[in-house]
Amino acid sequence: MNGLWAIVALVAFPGGLSLLAGGLAYEWVDRKLLALFQNRVGPRWFQPLADTVKLLAKEEIIPDKANKILYIGLPIAALAGGLTAALYVPLAGLKPTYSFPGDLIVTLYLLSLLTLCIGLAGTNTLDRFSMIGATRTLTQVFSYEAPFLLALLGPAVAAGSWQISTIASYAENHWLILMQPVGFIVALIGLMGKLEMPPFDAPEAHTEISAGALTEYSGRGLAFFHLAKAVELIVGLTLVAAIYLGGVSNPLWFLVKTLALLLTLIGIQSLFTRLRIDQTVGLWWRYGTILVLLQWLVLILVKRM
Amino acid sequence: MTTNQETERFTISIGPQHPALKEPGSFQFTVDGEIVTKAYVRLGYAHRGIEKATEQRNYIQDLYLLERICGICSHIHATAFCLTAEKLAHVEAPPRAQAIRVLVAELERIHSHFLWIGVSAHEAGFDTLFMYSWRDRETVMDLLEGLTGNRVNYSANVLGGVKCDVDKEQKAAILAGLDFLEERTRHYFDVLTNDSMFLQRTRGIAVMSRNQAEVMGALGPTARASNVARDVRVESPYAAYKQYPVNMMLDTRGDLEARFVVRLNELFESFRLIRLILDTLPESALTVRFPRRIPGGEAVMRLEAPRGELFYFIKSNGTDKPERVKVRTPTISNMTSVIKLAVGHQLADVPMILAGIDPCFSCNDRTVQLTNARNGSSNTMTWEGLRQHGIEFYGGKRK
Repeated sequence: MNGLWAIVALVAFPGGLSLLAGGLAYEWVDRKLLALFQNRVGPRWFQPLADTVKLLAKEEIIPDKANKILYIGLPIAALAGGLTAALYVPLAGLKPTYSFPGDLIVTLYLLSLLTLCIGLAGTNTLDRFSMIGATRTLTQVFSYEAPFLLALLGPAVAAGSWQISTIASYAENHWLILMQPVGFIVALIGLMGKLEMPPFDAPEAHTEISAGALTEYSGRGLAFFHLAKAVELIVGLTLVAAIYLGGVSNPLWFLVKTLALLLTLIGIQSLFTRLRIDQTVGLWWRYGTILVLLQWLVLILVKRM
Repeated sequence: MTTNQETERFTISIGPQHPALKEPGSFQFTVDGEIVTKAYVRLGYAHRGIEKATEQRNYIQDLYLLERICGICSHIHATAFCLTAEKLAHVEAPPRAQAIRVLVAELERIHSHFLWIGVSAHEAGFDTLFMYSWRDRETVMDLLEGLTGNRVNYSANVLGGVKCDVDKEQKAAILAGLDFLEERTRHYFDVLTNDSMFLQRTRGIAVMSRNQAEVMGALGPTARASNVARDVRVESPYAAYKQYPVNMMLDTRGDLEARFVVRLNELFESFRLIRLILDTLPESALTVRFPRRIPGGEAVMRLEAPRGELFYFIKSNGTDKPERVKVRTPTISNMTSVIKLAVGHQLADVPMILAGIDPCFSCNDRTVQLTNARNGSSNTMTWEGLRQHGIEFYGGKRK
């Protein structure tokens, strides 16, 4: 029975297929609302799915002199990372499928896998745009990863546990957004950096470097990267909502809270101009990291007293 | 770490096909990390041989052809051709026609500048502003359609006058449209000069000193943003600009922000001018008779297109076809500044610097240089040589 449940959880619900569908649905909300905010019509509800199906059906062209194993393997690793990370977060308001002390760290690293894979995929081809895009992707990782991690560890310290489910149940009684507002903002914006959303889309700034690191990707590889991003969107939103917005104890709260977060993200996306990569790094290290560290200091002092 | 730039060059090709370019043009940027160390441009991809084609058509047909040099500033090309031909034929269009020419030209300037705001915002990654400014641009396009019947190639000119008149309803529509546009322009002015995120991408970027602008022959708003007092409407007024003088908009800073400010101020100036023209439109006929054959001679004309000075030269030979028509558009003069200013800036700033001059490739491509991709040799071909090459290339036997 346990084994059967594990298979269902991995393949159908809450991981696997339903997660992919959820990711695509959230991606559609993102695209549609952004379009409406920008005075455009936006895509129809099945557009992300149609894009994925189209890409999966397309021929995959592997460029000359690219390492074939890496070229095919990296998108799979990226998607696998996102799907695995989903097993440790309270998706759809349910208890995480798997849980162990310290799974917060594992989840965060699994979420970084996507960015690392994109960076490696960019350097794997000889394309100039890919190279520059990969450089920027990896530069961006180094800038947001530390503050993002610190922002999510703040609640862990408050809850006294590095296990997501424990933090989430602690958060249900404590709205951490009120106690650690800086951490919340940094975590939310860090998520945008992770997903390379505007204004942090310098790594794929298409007016400069086409599609950035993924310029040479087409067909299945590109579809996998897109799916990985959609999955990461939903996992990231769940994580931030569970930790900062008073937990996601039931499906309704899950929907309300994650969609509210998504709405905030869309607002930020439509309001700002793209940051140059040096400005992104400056923003994170000059403000993000320092503010989070200050909050840590306050947190530790309060805990001591 | 020292990099030997000659041997370890990392060159990025932007174009001829690239998402940043709405028209084909080829740029090569040598970068050191993110910093551009060398820039190179190659133009000619949108060369359509229009100048040559004018020699085989009569003046009336040429008017239609030349209006299609540019999709944005179509009216100014037609006006330039009309004014030059009228100069040669010693014909002067009636005052009402001249005023309507200026009216349409100023509406076109609004249209062009709104389009430019959108394009630059898009290059900076600010798509919301892009969408909004292009939505508002629809208003002025509708006004132009109401006035002339067309949204893009207005075809308002005929040799010796204009085709369209302004009646009371059109006047009311234009005034209402202008009120809306003025309000929007005020909003954009606020956004573009106060939004700190946007200013990060424009303030102090690509600063062109007054001296540089003069040396590189910058024109139009690009030059005026560097405090070069150069506006043909002011220094040698044509059409009805004598009766409706324009205030020149200048800025001393010379950076990208200044180019935004100058263009937005020009929008306000255009609104003022259009209102003034509509209030004091002189009464007269719209056209005068224009001869089919123009006596031999040469004439030049300078006009202020939305992007800068537009230069026309016509040589007539007494027939109904011109012997030579030469067009120089402002983009070709401003292109030097892009190449110069890009060096030392980040790659991310390059699209903004390029958009800063409001480039129009199809306007500026007056010549084409053929380069053999295999061995890099290049040569310029004569008309006859090109024709012969075409016949041989396609294996035809016809002479």
